[in-house]
Order: sequence, then C-alpha cells, then structure tokens
Amino acid sequence: MRSSLPPLGPPVSRDRVITSFPKWYTPAACLQLREHFHGQVSAACQRGNTGTVGLKLSKVVVVGDLYVGKTSLIHRFCKNVFNRDYKATIGVDFEIERFEVAGIPFSLQIWDTAGQEKFKCIASAYYRGAQVIITAFDLTDVQTLAHTRQWLEDALRENEPGACFLFLVGTKKDLLSGAAEQVEAEAVRLANEMQAEYWSVSAKTGENVKAFFSRVAALTFERAVLQDLEQRSNAWLQVGDGDLIRMESRLPDTQDNTRPSSLGCC
Amino acid sequence: MEEPPLREEEEEGDEAGPEGALGKSPFQLTAEDVYDISYVMGRELMALGSDPRVTQLQFKIVRVLEMLETLVNEGNLTVEELRMERDNLRTEVEGLRREGSAAGGEVNLGPDKMVVDLTDPNRPRFTLQELRDVLQERNKLKSQLLVAQEELQCYKSGLIPPREGPGGRREKDTLVARANNARSNKEEKTIIRKLRDRGGFVHLGDKSKPPDFRTTDAGCGRSSSRR
Repeated sequence: MRSSLPPLGPPVSRDRVITSFPKWYTPAACLQLREHFHGQVSAACQRGNTGTVGLKLSKVVVVGDLYVGKTSLIHRFCKNVFNRDYKATIGVDFEIERFEVAGIPFSLQIWDTAGQEKFKCIASAYYRGAQVIITAFDLTDVQTLAHTRQWLEDALRENEPGACFLFLVGTKKDLLSGAAEQVEAEAVRLANEMQAEYWSVSAKTGENVKAFFSRVAALTFERAVLQDLEQRSNAWLQVGDGDLIRMESRLPDTQDNTRPSSLGCC
Repeated sequence: MEEPPLREEEEEGDEAGPEGALGKSPFQLTAEDVYDISYVMGRELMALGSDPRVTQLQFKIVRVLEMLETLVNEGNLTVEELRMERDNLRTEVEGLRREGSAAGGEVNLGPDKMVVDLTDPNRPRFTLQELRDVLQERNKLKSQLLVAQEELQCYKSGLIPPREGPGGRREKDTLVARANNARSNKEEKTIIRKLRDRGGFVHLGDKSKPPDFRTTDAGCGRSSSRR
C-alpha cells in the first residue's frame, strides 16, 4: 500500500544492495530488456531526488497452488533457510525485505498466501494494492502451471489494470530432469500470454532466488520512482501535495506548512 | 431318571464329586446336580438297611427329587429362552438405531451440510471471521516486532544515541517527515527535532488500516534514509 511506511532502520545488508540493473531470466519472456536503470531514474537517484520512494513499502503478493513452494521461496530469500517438511500456510503471512537500490533505500512487503482452497476467501482480501503479483507453480507438476491463469485472474481482479508487475515463477527447479525444456517452453508461452516475466527457481538449492527478487525489487523501485517523479511534476502544476504532511494545529507555525513552497520545488 | 448325554463331561469338570451338588446355590442347580444328590441320598438310604420305614421314606424322597428335577429343568429352560429373547431384541434395537441415525441424517442435511462429531477434539469450531481477526492481529504484532527489531538495531549500531531515547520518543506514533529532498541533512534533522521537542508529529497515510506499518522512528528513519 502506497501510503505505508517501512521501518527505516540500520543499513541494509550487503547482498540487498542493488547497483546495476538485474537481468531477466530469459529474453523469451521478460518485462523489459533494458540492462540499465531508466535515465530519469538514475538521474533522480544521483541527485537524491526520489521523493517518498525510500519511505514506501511496495507490496508483493505471491499466489499459486498449494505445495508449489511459495513459502519456501520466500523463506529462502528472506531467511536463507529451506525446510523439507511441508507446513500449509494458514491464510496469509508476510515478510519485509529492505533493499538499497541505486543508493536509495527501498522495501518490499512480500505477502505469502495460502494455496489451500479453504483459505482463498481470507487470502484474497490481501491481494489489493499490489505492485507485484508473483504466480508460482511447481515445475514438476503441469497441473499447477495450468492453474496459474486462474490465480492470476483472481489476484488481478483486486487491482487496477496495469498497476502490477506480473511474474510467473516455476519452483523446484532442482527436481527437474528430462522434461525440463518442454515444461519451460509451455511456461514461457503462458507467461507471454499473461504479459508476465518468467523465472525458474529452486528454494532448496537457492538457485536464482536472489536474482529473481533483486529483479522484482529493481523493476518495482524504478516504477515507483518514475511514478513519484510524475506525481510531483503534476503536484508542481497544482498546489502542492499537502496531503502528505499534516501538522497538529497547536503548532504555532502551521500556516507555513500549508504552503507548498517547500515541497516539490525540484 | 434318564441319563442326559452331557453327564460325563459335567462330572469331569466337577471336582467336588456328587456331594458338591448339595453345596450349590439352588438357582445354579442343574438336572445333573439333582442326579448327583439322588445318588448320594440313595447310597445313604441303602446304608440304613432294609427297615420298611426306610423304604417308605425312600419312595417319598424319590418323588421329591423328581419334582426338584422338573423344576430345575423348567427353570433352566426358561432362563435359556429369556436369554435368547434378550439377545434377539438387542440386535433388533441396534439395527433400528443404525437405520434411524442414517435416516435422520438424510432428513436433516442438505447437499452442502456436514455432520460434526462433537466429541472430536479436532472438530471445526472457529468461524472464518475469528480466523481473519486472529491473522490480522498476528500480522499487526509481526509488523510491530519488525519495527522494534529495526529500532534495536539502530541503537546497537549507534544510529540513535541512547540519551535521545526516552525523552524524544515518548510519542508512539512518532513522526516520519517527508520533507523536501533538496534540503540538507542538517536542516531536516533540525526540523524533526523541532517537531519532536514541541510534541507535534507528522502523519503519513491512514493509521486505521491494518496490517501495514504505521509507525516508525524519525531519528532512526532519517539517519538511514539519507546516507
């Protein structure tokens, strides 16, 4: 949710620092082929002119059939652990991951949803306001790939059209053997149809997990900065965005803060 | 008196011998026991010799024993019959009960209903809304925990000087100022301090909506966001 605030705390760990734009998994199904940050974005970052982006928490929602490994994927990335035992997620859970992208702090709130049908009515309440929708499937179970279309549809229903980055992620890559190419070809085809970026990962070995989330973070960050720049240029034409700062009325110098002069001047 | 076919077997199991039958409860008595008693009594009468009074008594005793035999046989037959009748009724009742519960289930339940075993400790018993509430509460607590952990991290790494702690951070909804980026770090810090010292604070977003983060620490947030 755009208005929420991440806990800005100590510096982020070194492997959450993103300086160059992370690459796609396959050019056959990716959201963009650029290998550098958008010009406007790098410029804004260099000048430290990224507005509220550093304070925001971007929302990532992970959906998909039960037992495809959504929780394992998130835990591998956020806690660097892998648990062999299956434990169904009850309703929803979340993790916060802090990054530093192009020198600017940036946080993802990653929502882990239950794949079990009986929890769908609870989990779906958490779909809205997402910047990223990750639809996961099990590379060794074609049925779960077939179901991704429905999962995506459900998640998109709660969001503005075009507001979310979509990812189609095949899990359990370590278990994939002979039929690998066939499954991946089908997944790539489906990803293109969904206008999603395709990745295949293994939470067990950790393969591609960090690369994938770095890609998610960078793309989300870039869009957030671009949107912020656009909003502020609009705000400049209007009369500030006084909504963001509200002072308590007992402050003697309240009137100063109602004036936009100190906001959006660049 | 006819000898019933079971006599040999019974005698084998009867360790007390023919005399044992006299020590039994009258309700446990079988025809065999009556034969044992008559054997014992006959033997004793024989020992008394051939006095005609003894012979007289012997006829009466035989008659009494015959009556006893009839009664015992009759009684045992009745017990056996009653026992069989009881068992039949029991099976009948069980059958009816089973039919009844199955029929009752069909009558009460629609296609989307299910039966809950109230003695099952794992039976469903919480509502969806209760689960929703618990999850929301959990999420709220988790986010507070994360905030607290980060804050602790700030103290540990010296981002927040310890002395600033209690005084400057009384407000739980502490401020997060989103100020002009062109300002210098120093200027911002001063503004935040000023706000804090006056007890005023800045809100961002709607505080009523769980489960996202609502509070963060200004001192901590600033220092890390403007490195």
